[in-house]
Amino acid sequence: MELLGNLLLIAIGAALINNFVLTYFVGICPFLGVSRRLDTAFGMGCAVTFVISVAALISWTMTEFVLRPGALVPGWILNLGARDTGAAEVDLSILSYIVYIFVIAASVQFVEMYVRKFYPALYKSFGVFLPLITTNCAILFACLEIMKHVNAREWGLVESMVLAIFGGVGFTIAIVLMAGIREELELADVPVAFRGAAITLVVAGILALAFMGFTGVGANIQKALTGETTASPADIRVESSGESAP
Amino acid sequence: MMIVVSVGLAASTLFGMAVVISYVLGWANKAFHVEIDPRVIRINDVLPGAHCAGCGYVGCNDYAEAVARGEAAVNLCAPGGPACAEAMAAIMGVEVEQTWPYRAVVHCTARANQRLLRTEYRGEPTCMAANLVNDVQGCVYGCLGIGDCERVCDYDAIHVVEGLAEVDYEKCTGCGACVDICPRSIISRIPFKAEQVLVIKCSNDDFGVEVKKVCQVGCIGCKACTRFSELLTMAGNLPVVDYDADDYLLADFAASLEKCPAESLVFVGTPSRADLEATAEEELPERIVPEFETTVDKTDWWG
Repeated sequence: MELLGNLLLIAIGAALINNFVLTYFVGICPFLGVSRRLDTAFGMGCAVTFVISVAALISWTMTEFVLRPGALVPGWILNLGARDTGAAEVDLSILSYIVYIFVIAASVQFVEMYVRKFYPALYKSFGVFLPLITTNCAILFACLEIMKHVNAREWGLVESMVLAIFGGVGFTIAIVLMAGIREELELADVPVAFRGAAITLVVAGILALAFMGFTGVGANIQKALTGETTASPADIRVESSGESAP
Repeated sequence: MMIVVSVGLAASTLFGMAVVISYVLGWANKAFHVEIDPRVIRINDVLPGAHCAGCGYVGCNDYAEAVARGEAAVNLCAPGGPACAEAMAAIMGVEVEQTWPYRAVVHCTARANQRLLRTEYRGEPTCMAANLVNDVQGCVYGCLGIGDCERVCDYDAIHVVEGLAEVDYEKCTGCGACVDICPRSIISRIPFKAEQVLVIKCSNDDFGVEVKKVCQVGCIGCKACTRFSELLTMAGNLPVVDYDADDYLLADFAASLEKCPAESLVFVGTPSRADLEATAEEELPERIVPEFETTVDKTDWWG
């Protein structure tokens, strides 16, 4: 029960409360670039969710067994070579960034080939933004968030995957909402000075303001689950504000 | 010792990942192989990449695919011109058919003060909107002069001068953007078989009496021009030029031009060499250019 409650908090935290795009402002590039039409926006959201899941799976494995301080594999190799230094720990966490980027780039390449083969129309509408998922910081952000919690020995594979998948879902929600608004915006009478990128950014800002309404939801869910009022792990950034929220 | 071990471990970690990922991607590359016609890539390189859709396809990429499939002719790209057509023909292994460059022509010759029954228009400054309003000007076929075509042109080739859109034939590529945007449909693309071509610069299909009420220079449908050239025929109350006739280039329109009582029958295009030579000796007054940029917005006066 405690695990399920925790997972629920992580899921809601990643998808709504601390939405990657609208609270942390990561992954803005495709958020603005591919949100012109609803169907391509949904496709982009699905692609990012898939890439983020694959990248999280691989990077959790790498972090848990190779990169974190006192990880299994380096210690094992170390003991194999020099038995007398068995107590020593090797910290490979300096490699984390390069390994994550490596993993993300490979998964994007994989997804690109897959989409090109099986969904040519989607591939066409993505255009340059599909390879650009490589540099989508939402994915690196998810990997780093997982690394933080794995290094602190808090999260296992399940929690990491829940964060990644629901982070992707949150990205999809944000970009689909944005695309819906922008499709309506095509028909709106926007003042000349605000047309194009300006009104898009204004809309993104208002959307982010709306998502601030979820602040504190995590703490209240935890309260309902456990009866405690401590800040939840879902409120990663806004820990104290949860208590004052209604 | 510890440092050496750490470096070794780090290096072997990355090396191991590289091996595994290369293997997976190599397999995926083979498994998800997509056949692409190499000609599409080469044709794409040849095309200008302006995505003007003048060829009738969504963009240069679409056109390239259609050409590679053999569905489209190689000479449809107006901005690319003959050089582009030849390069594509070489890639496709076909011959270029003889074609003429198409250029936009505004079928109206009346300046703002020559059009009658005009009313001041103070709405949204687009032709599209002005066209919905009755009685902006008497002639419902005449250029509105607000410049939708000017704004849509990617090549800076069409400008509104004294309330009339004029095409700059040094810049026009014949992409047809202005043809599509004009709400009164008075811009069309015609084949430029020579540097100058004869065009009917009027679109008013009404009888002469009606035309006279709304325009000082419109075609009154007097048929005078058709009597002196077989290539000019009447269609309703307007003459049409038969550009497809075999002897178009040899035809002499001088008599027709002379007899035209209106100013609707004119040659457009770059001046011919003969004209330039004839006027080379003449002394022309220098063009007077205003010294200062005025702060008056040119959309201020839409008449």
